[in-house]
Amino acid sequence: MVAVERELSTTSPTPAASAITADAIPLALRRRGASPRQVLAMTFVGLLVLALFASRDLPSWAGRVGDGPLAERAQVLATKWDDAMESLGLVRPHEALRAWVAWALDVKWDSDRR
Amino acid sequence: MLFPTLGFLLFFLVVAAAMAVLDTRFMAKKAVLVGASYYFYAQWDWRFCFLLAGSSVVSYLAGQLIDAAPDRRRRQIILGIAVALHLGLLGAFKYFDFFISSANQLARLLGLEHELPFIEILLPVGISFFTFHGISYITDVYRGDVAVCRNPLDMLLYMSFFPQLVAGPIVRAAYFLPQLARPSAEPIPIGPALLLILVGLFKKVVVANYLATGLVDPVFAAPTSYGGPDLLLATYGYAVQIYCDFSAYSDMAIALAALLGFRFPANFNQPYRAQRLREFWQRWHISLSTWLRDYLYKPLGGNRDGRLKTYRNLLLTMLLGGLWHGAAWKFIAWGMLHGGGLAVERMLEPWIGRRSLSPAAKAVATLVVFHFVCFAWIFFRAEDFALASLYIGGLASGWGAGLQQAGPFMVALIALGLAGQFTPDALFDRAATAFARVPSWGLGAMAGIVVALINALGPEGVAPFIYFRF
Repeated sequence: MVAVERELSTTSPTPAASAITADAIPLALRRRGASPRQVLAMTFVGLLVLALFASRDLPSWAGRVGDGPLAERAQVLATKWDDAMESLGLVRPHEALRAWVAWALDVKWDSDRR
Repeated sequence: MLFPTLGFLLFFLVVAAAMAVLDTRFMAKKAVLVGASYYFYAQWDWRFCFLLAGSSVVSYLAGQLIDAAPDRRRRQIILGIAVALHLGLLGAFKYFDFFISSANQLARLLGLEHELPFIEILLPVGISFFTFHGISYITDVYRGDVAVCRNPLDMLLYMSFFPQLVAGPIVRAAYFLPQLARPSAEPIPIGPALLLILVGLFKKVVVANYLATGLVDPVFAAPTSYGGPDLLLATYGYAVQIYCDFSAYSDMAIALAALLGFRFPANFNQPYRAQRLREFWQRWHISLSTWLRDYLYKPLGGNRDGRLKTYRNLLLTMLLGGLWHGAAWKFIAWGMLHGGGLAVERMLEPWIGRRSLSPAAKAVATLVVFHFVCFAWIFFRAEDFALASLYIGGLASGWGAGLQQAGPFMVALIALGLAGQFTPDALFDRAATAFARVPSWGLGAMAGIVVALINALGPEGVAPFIYFRF
């Protein structure tokens, strides 16, 4: 029974000082904010923009969702969506960044070893 | 279901939609959050949900019984049984095979041939965290630090709330249950929450993932194949990786809770800038270190009964803190190193305690503490004690070889991770305030673009968070 420290003679209506921890988001930053509907709007728009610019990863994600006709259909749709984004040129930033990272990972201290 | 995945984003979209539709119906919101949390947990293994529900029922009933008990002795007995049930559950799932393995080793040493069988139970993800939540609640009710929870729904939500369910932060009952008593009148801090999510994603997806796959994992897997420079950089790399991995999870958990209208406590505060080991523990995994302080170190006597007992209590607390991470000698070594370090620091208190340090001395103190913490991380990260010893042997001797594994990109990630320890708080505050002025659709668009960039920068696929296994 390691958690027992002592018996209190009276119960306190407020938590003991040691039990109170600082809020991760301080009060000054919590004064301005939004409603649950605005949070929903933000999440929805974020997802939409992500679907536009991160379409390269959608087919592989859809492939991991599961088996069965529904998953297959989702994968076909994801591939079609990615093709459409490619034709619009929206996958270029993704591919440029991937290429840069691949180059950065390949850089060695000694330039002859590249 | 990991936070930085599209599957989780879709899940959160549904939860956010439910919160928006239910708006002022607080009870219904809590019921939806309980359902969502159990769905989230079932993605690992649906059978674990029964364990979580059982743990919640034990905590709820123990709270009621402690509150109704007429005298101190009965309250103590109920508390003892409830804590034993929680620890028994944790012990059965987490430590049983460790004790069998240790007993078998001892039997072999004694020349006995009979070996006890292993049961090889799958460790339920997050069991250490929800066990600590349960113990925190019943102990706080016993001490009178929190009013007994009358609403079973509140207890179910406290134990299962999905942002913190599998890897913390450990949220005290006295901190969280009052938030379930009535809806918050505060607006949702959408700016700081979004900033926490984006920073957390970058730390996890880019910094932690690349350091793990490009440097730490290969070097720790075969330390004898690398020279001292690689071993040293892999040690720094792991220090940065575990910080970026775990603090990223905490950042995202805090932000998700905030977006759902709840407050969480801080869990990290630039720990590698600490000038004392004690200060390190005030900045690292704060919710665990304060939990150990309040539910273990102080009940053991804390620093009240003289110096020797204080050192013993520090050692015991950190030893059990090490064991909490897993049933292995390497975690015991890690805990003992920190406990011993804290005890030595306490011994030196008369000389180093109240003296104000020059900037140079502060820098030296920070470097000493950082390197001590890094040394202890070797035990924490190594596959076992023997590999940790080989690793340390390599660090001490193998300085003739050049760098094989730690390329410029890895070194840049380490430098970036360490530089992040010294950014002023005002920088985050200013950025969060600026975010808060942007309309929600604008924030969504910006977040979508930044997440797409982070996704492109990171390796394909996301490794599980390190603390999931604890």
